[in-house]
Amino acid sequence: MAVPSTVTTALADRPVEGRRCLEAGAGVGNATAGLLDAGAERVYAVTNDRAHARTTRERVADDDTRSDRLAVLESDLRTLALSDDSIELITAHGLCNVLDPAALSAVAATFRRVAAPGCHLVIDDYAPLPATASVRELFAVENAAAELATGGPALTFYPPDAIRRCFVGGGWSFDRERTLLDPVPWTADHLSAHAAAARDHAAGCPGDLGDRLATRADRLATAIGSESAGRMYSLAFRLSA
Amino acid sequence: METRPLGDTGQDSTVVTFGTIALNWLEQEGADQLVEHVLDYGVNHFDVAPTYGDAELKLGPKLRQHREEIFLGCKTQQRDYEGAWGMLERSLDRLGVDSIDLYQVHGLEYDDELDEITGDDGALRAFREARAEGLIDHIGLTSHSEPALVLDAIDRIDDLDSLMFPLNPVVAAKDDGDHDYEAVLDRAHAADIGTLGIKAFAAGSWPDTDDLPEADRPFANWYRPVTAPDEIRRRFDFAASQGLTSVVSVGDPKLVTMILEAAADYEEMDEAAQRSLIERVRHDDSPVPEQLHH
Repeated sequence: MAVPSTVTTALADRPVEGRRCLEAGAGVGNATAGLLDAGAERVYAVTNDRAHARTTRERVADDDTRSDRLAVLESDLRTLALSDDSIELITAHGLCNVLDPAALSAVAATFRRVAAPGCHLVIDDYAPLPATASVRELFAVENAAAELATGGPALTFYPPDAIRRCFVGGGWSFDRERTLLDPVPWTADHLSAHAAAARDHAAGCPGDLGDRLATRADRLATAIGSESAGRMYSLAFRLSA
Repeated sequence: METRPLGDTGQDSTVVTFGTIALNWLEQEGADQLVEHVLDYGVNHFDVAPTYGDAELKLGPKLRQHREEIFLGCKTQQRDYEGAWGMLERSLDRLGVDSIDLYQVHGLEYDDELDEITGDDGALRAFREARAEGLIDHIGLTSHSEPALVLDAIDRIDDLDSLMFPLNPVVAAKDDGDHDYEAVLDRAHAADIGTLGIKAFAAGSWPDTDDLPEADRPFANWYRPVTAPDEIRRRFDFAASQGLTSVVSVGDPKLVTMILEAAADYEEMDEAAQRSLIERVRHDDSPVPEQLHH
């Protein structure tokens, strides 16, 4: 599977070759594959999702030159067992939108702890959607179900300025911002996946509210079909050497 | 309409090339009208082939009337000397013109074909003789095949003036060698060879004929095209933004006006929007449906 252009674009001006890297929130392994292809010496791909860990492993399993340089860790990023000052480049590709503010703050602290002097940090994520975007309603239903079931939102779209202030405040120097996608293509597969996530949360909601939220999410995903809306950005930071 | 140099031929081609296969689906009167319509938009590069049904015959009358306004590309699938000469003479006869501006090796697919074309008894010897006689001006090549074969052809045909090959977001999303037409584009630019993009408007393959018989297809294209005006505009802007000399219009006459409109209003697509289009088709084609982000 090809490394998406969002990843290659975000990494294009970063010094990946020969570096020890942390991919925070490994997802299906897109950024992990991008780091390995760009010559990372070692990639620690961290996820708290067992299925994602397996997908990431399988993605590079048929290629020894890549799999030998990969360690997939099933872990909560907030309590990550990597040594202090050990990582030379950190990527968080599409991670922050699944972290609520408290989790983002804790993950930022982990990044700062494991980052070696001179470390680079790349954060790719979605800006808040425009008011006209239909997908906002689907994400609102997903968040409502998550709030009721878990006490926190499923999704938070941070403005790039907020992410920038968060990390600069944590000791990182801001390097650059670039636009990865404009507009963001929310395909039928994405909407279906978000409807499924809403259903999972809805199952934990009290009374018949869960059923109603699940039905609403499915109907919205079907009605919207697909939509191109919003912007995906890439922010780069570094620590002084 | 914007024009761009076709390599080092001296020809400045409009950013859209009229694929005259569309004329095959029309009666003569309608074909004449479509040619006038295309010319009204300022299009100056037409492409035809003897394998496009009656397109050569239906293009003929208006081509002859407007010969000076039209840079004419034609092609042959013949690989040997005699066959290529025969097909060139047949095309000149059917088109009713004295010369063709760009004559192209059509649909190069296999290594052994390239060997034959470039051999002593190959089609290129006929092309070069025809050029010396003033029957054609320039030599081109078209291919849907592996980019590596096209790169080999660039190396082996030192008087190649143009290349025609597929370029669209579906192709751009794949990073394997079988789809690396960006390498072809780069090499063509370096060698000052003109580039003509095909399949810019392809959405995918047609369903199996058991599910959708050929007679029930709603468009006369080899492939299932995008059809919404906004999508056609995005596809045109994407293809033209890759640095091609010109983007070839689709085979179905129902879509031609939308493509002409897109070409007339062409604006270079910024890189974030290009990636957006690539990501959209990549996810549509993804074997990992559960992913939530890009």
